[in-house]
Amino acid sequence: MRSIVAVGLASFTFLAVAPLLWMLISSVMQQQALTSTPPDFSAGSFTLDNYVKVFSSAAALGRGFLNSFIVALSTTAAALAIGAPAAYALARLSVPGANPILMMILATQMFPGIVIAIPLFIAMSRLGLIDTQLALIIVYLSFNLPIVVWILRGFFLAIPAGLERAAAVDGATMVQVFSLIVLPISIAPLFATAVFAFIESWNEFFFALILTRQSAQTAPLVISQFAGQYQTVFGQMMAAATLAVAPVVALAVVFRNRIMRGFAEGMVKG
Amino acid sequence: MADVELKAVAKSFGKVPVCRGVDLRIADGEFVTLLGPSGCGKTTTLNLIAGLEDASAGDILIGGRRVNHLTPFERDVAMVFQNYALYPHMTVAENIGFTLRLRGLPRDEIRRRVAALAASLELGPVLDRLPAQLSGGQQQRVALGRAIIREPQVFLFDEPFSNLDSGLRIRLRAEIKELHQRLRVTSIFVTHDQEEALSLSDRIAVMREGRVEQYGTPAEVYARPVSRYVARFIGSPPMDFLPGQITNENGIPAFRMGAIAVPLEAGVADAPGGATGPCEFGVRPEHVVLGSAGAPATVRLVQPVGASTFVTVAWDGGSLIARVPGMASFTPGERVHFSMAPRHVMLFDAASGRRVSMPGEAGVINPSPDWTRRPA
Repeated sequence: MRSIVAVGLASFTFLAVAPLLWMLISSVMQQQALTSTPPDFSAGSFTLDNYVKVFSSAAALGRGFLNSFIVALSTTAAALAIGAPAAYALARLSVPGANPILMMILATQMFPGIVIAIPLFIAMSRLGLIDTQLALIIVYLSFNLPIVVWILRGFFLAIPAGLERAAAVDGATMVQVFSLIVLPISIAPLFATAVFAFIESWNEFFFALILTRQSAQTAPLVISQFAGQYQTVFGQMMAAATLAVAPVVALAVVFRNRIMRGFAEGMVKG
Repeated sequence: MADVELKAVAKSFGKVPVCRGVDLRIADGEFVTLLGPSGCGKTTTLNLIAGLEDASAGDILIGGRRVNHLTPFERDVAMVFQNYALYPHMTVAENIGFTLRLRGLPRDEIRRRVAALAASLELGPVLDRLPAQLSGGQQQRVALGRAIIREPQVFLFDEPFSNLDSGLRIRLRAEIKELHQRLRVTSIFVTHDQEEALSLSDRIAVMREGRVEQYGTPAEVYARPVSRYVARFIGSPPMDFLPGQITNENGIPAFRMGAIAVPLEAGVADAPGGATGPCEFGVRPEHVVLGSAGAPATVRLVQPVGASTFVTVAWDGGSLIARVPGMASFTPGERVHFSMAPRHVMLFDAASGRRVSMPGEAGVINPSPDWTRRPA
């Protein structure tokens, strides 16, 4: 039984990790060695050249990373600042129509992005927000907020109501109960949710493609431009992609315990 | 400090009525327990007094002032919750001082007051620890400290011992009683444990289906329960009930249950409000005497518990439990005779469950020494 589980887990891990691994390998191989069939894995094929070249064209990539950071951080901050109070209200206060509201929030997740791409583009261009970070922040926020609300609501529901009642008897107002009791004991889930929102925004490609042109381009877009019309520079593209993935992986590795605990806590009660 | 009064207080959750008109008067400084099984509305009643729920109808008065519209804090009540509800991210000192911090007291004063209180609760050495690092008893004392530091008009306790082992329960029970004797703050305590209620309270309100079934001193609810419900709920092991019939045995009114009959003195069966027809006969284990006198029966079960032994005796048509002092040596199958201390038996109307007669009360049984006997 244990060996079946082990084999199963190993296969899933391989499926999940293989593309990343291939990305990493490609990023340190010469174009010729990589594109020959079968790929040439001899010692001479490996090089750090791709990284050198990526860094030498740093202007565009640097701007892309900066844009990505600003957009992802702003989105995450705003999603938590708006989503946490909303989730708490929907979990604990007798909000009229709380269930329809929750269903509507969930329903927004059911439309494929492409459906709203054109209306969104028109709206943003009328607002004069095309090729701005603000446009991406607004769009990403609208995608992340529903998920943040749903996840955090689950966490808040799992907090024993006795704590909030105790605080009310101690003289705390509703805002004080939220800020002094609920938020401090929800740091783990808030953190997990923040990482989730950050990664979602960091990786987003499609809306960045249609809503930016040059100055607000994010890292995934800049990386995609390594694919030219006549030639795709796989090595450099993968080197850039590796650099783009690095912060996310670092985030996940450094904080893996907090993230795991955050999600585990939410599972105590459904 | 203040008295508390509930006038026809009702509460429904949606269409489900939980409190159906609770009337209670709790005097200043009194310790009152709301006792009942789960679902009887006792915790909801406490929450209504605290202001954690809004009453659907009725008036709640604290210190003569109607408080229905006030927040828990404005009512000046402090509450100790089931599972304590300590703030897990705050140290013991921060937990106790939280309410003072919310009131905007200077840090120095908070620290001074918390330290003084902590010393009296033996929490001095653990003031900087988090609740998770404390023993169950210490957590309980922190919860008490958080309530006491407010110097409230009323203390409310919501089953504060329900998750503790029995040794700790008994110790903390004594601590709460001592605390009440020292501070004399009006206290309302919710529990489903009758022993807790008896040992702590000045008065007990036994609740049933959202109403107060009986409100009286522990001695009253124990010795003069108004109904079968109260009689069964109070006492451990509970009172035994034997169904039977008021009959006429050779011209004497008697209570017949199976093969034995208990003669009733004139006036029981035919007194106004007295018993007629099918009834239940109730007797507590400590009032059943095993010996050579009385009706014959067979020992079925022997349960020694240290200070006393519970002996189940059976006869053709019934059985009951007798409490015998000490570690008595009975063996199952043994033939014994039993009688009952006549002053302590009760009759309950079979249909309504209300108690219909009581020795010592007007118009009821005169105890007779050989009142238990085999019918002729």
